[in-house]
Amino acid sequence: MENREKLKELMLDILLIDEDEFSFELKREDVETWDSLGVVSVAVGIQDTFGYHPSTDEATALDSVDKIIELLESNGIQFEQ
Amino acid sequence: MRIIRASGPAIDAGLLEEAWNNPESFVFVPAHMSMDDAPLFRHRGYLPKELSKDHFALLTSGSTGKPKVVIGCRARSEDLTRVLHEIQDSAPVAETICALPLTYSYAFVNQWLWAKVQGRRFRPSPGLSSPAQFRQDLIAADNAMLCLVGSQVSLMESQLADCSFPGVIRLHFAGGRFPQHKLESLNRMFPEAVIFNNFGCAEALPRLTVRKAGASNDAQNVGSPLPGVELKSVEGALFFRSPFGAVATVGADGFHLFDASEWIPTGDIGHPAADGESWQLAGRTNEVFNRYGEKISLFTIGGTVEDFWPGQSAVFKTVDTHGEEAGAIALAPKPSKQQMRALLSEFRKKHNRAQWPLYIVGMDKLPELANGKPDLVSIASIGDEHVLWRQHI
Repeated sequence: MENREKLKELMLDILLIDEDEFSFELKREDVETWDSLGVVSVAVGIQDTFGYHPSTDEATALDSVDKIIELLESNGIQFEQ
Repeated sequence: MRIIRASGPAIDAGLLEEAWNNPESFVFVPAHMSMDDAPLFRHRGYLPKELSKDHFALLTSGSTGKPKVVIGCRARSEDLTRVLHEIQDSAPVAETICALPLTYSYAFVNQWLWAKVQGRRFRPSPGLSSPAQFRQDLIAADNAMLCLVGSQVSLMESQLADCSFPGVIRLHFAGGRFPQHKLESLNRMFPEAVIFNNFGCAEALPRLTVRKAGASNDAQNVGSPLPGVELKSVEGALFFRSPFGAVATVGADGFHLFDASEWIPTGDIGHPAADGESWQLAGRTNEVFNRYGEKISLFTIGGTVEDFWPGQSAVFKTVDTHGEEAGAIALAPKPSKQQMRALLSEFRKKHNRAQWPLYIVGMDKLPELANGKPDLVSIASIGDEHVLWRQHI
């Protein structure tokens, strides 16, 4: 599975959103389940799925799917366009 | 105290008839239960002399897997069957079809003893362990009473689909959440049956309240106490006093003789309903806990699952990697990815994240105890290969 698809599946699983609610422009403010525990889940999910362990500062700054991709790409994990 | 070991429903009924007519007290134990760790047998020498006659004891493994003994007075239990006979309008019932193990107090008192006291036919059936035979038994039912546990309904729907059994005129449920959401299907399968929700516990031997299915739309409503039974709620925990209940118990902590004035815990969380007469349950006391500061009830989680999932389901307690307690769900048959996402979507709609399951496992069939309830000890140890979804936490 390509990394974009992996990330999409991860966000569906963490936020319990439907496929049609997801986009790569999704922001934390768009979905009520991206709450404080959701932030922790995103960080743990990134580690489980991509093997990168975000620091606490990095995890709390991840408030959009865009920023997750940005963080992972800056750590050598490539996302196809 | 004489030991009678169960061997099969038909043989058991004959053995019990003989034992009940003999004044010596007896204990009735499941066929395969190990006696090594059964507390009654460690404490047998200390039982008061007055319990050596006219009493009986039932030994069950229970859903926790820990053996527990309840000792009852025969006269009190016979009185309970008379009260149930009146309240549940059982005069037209000619026979009872027993599809549960007789060592289960529900089958023992509500069915075998009731049949003996009221002079009705007692008809053992292998139940859902042999669906073809069970179907024949139900087809042959003649003004029959049938007792089930709620978790068996989804299996009945899958095994006995499109069947109708008009010979069953009383259908009782006990031993867990009442299948309120399955009433339409039950009314189709048992078109002539009056359906009852029975609530109680082992120490009550076994009934405390009853209600007709139609008397409430809420699965958590257990109806009103039987005449003579008192209930009270103390900080949410439910206690009872009953003229029909057990006179003593033997557990891991030893022998305990109940005082007539003693309030005995049912092990449930409950409170009076708004109508002032009936009672509402919120779950078992060991099924309510805090997770990240939120109060979690496995009973509530189970309700969300049962309202959505037509197959078997079980909800059980587990612990996450931070040591926080959480609920987890087992489903059978194994759901598709879309079905699982739809169930999770229900959780998103109805509950906050702390209430969501920590994980969901799926398998062809859930392991069960002999009494038809899900075997939560086995289910909780199901391997990672069956995990379909889990929270990242």
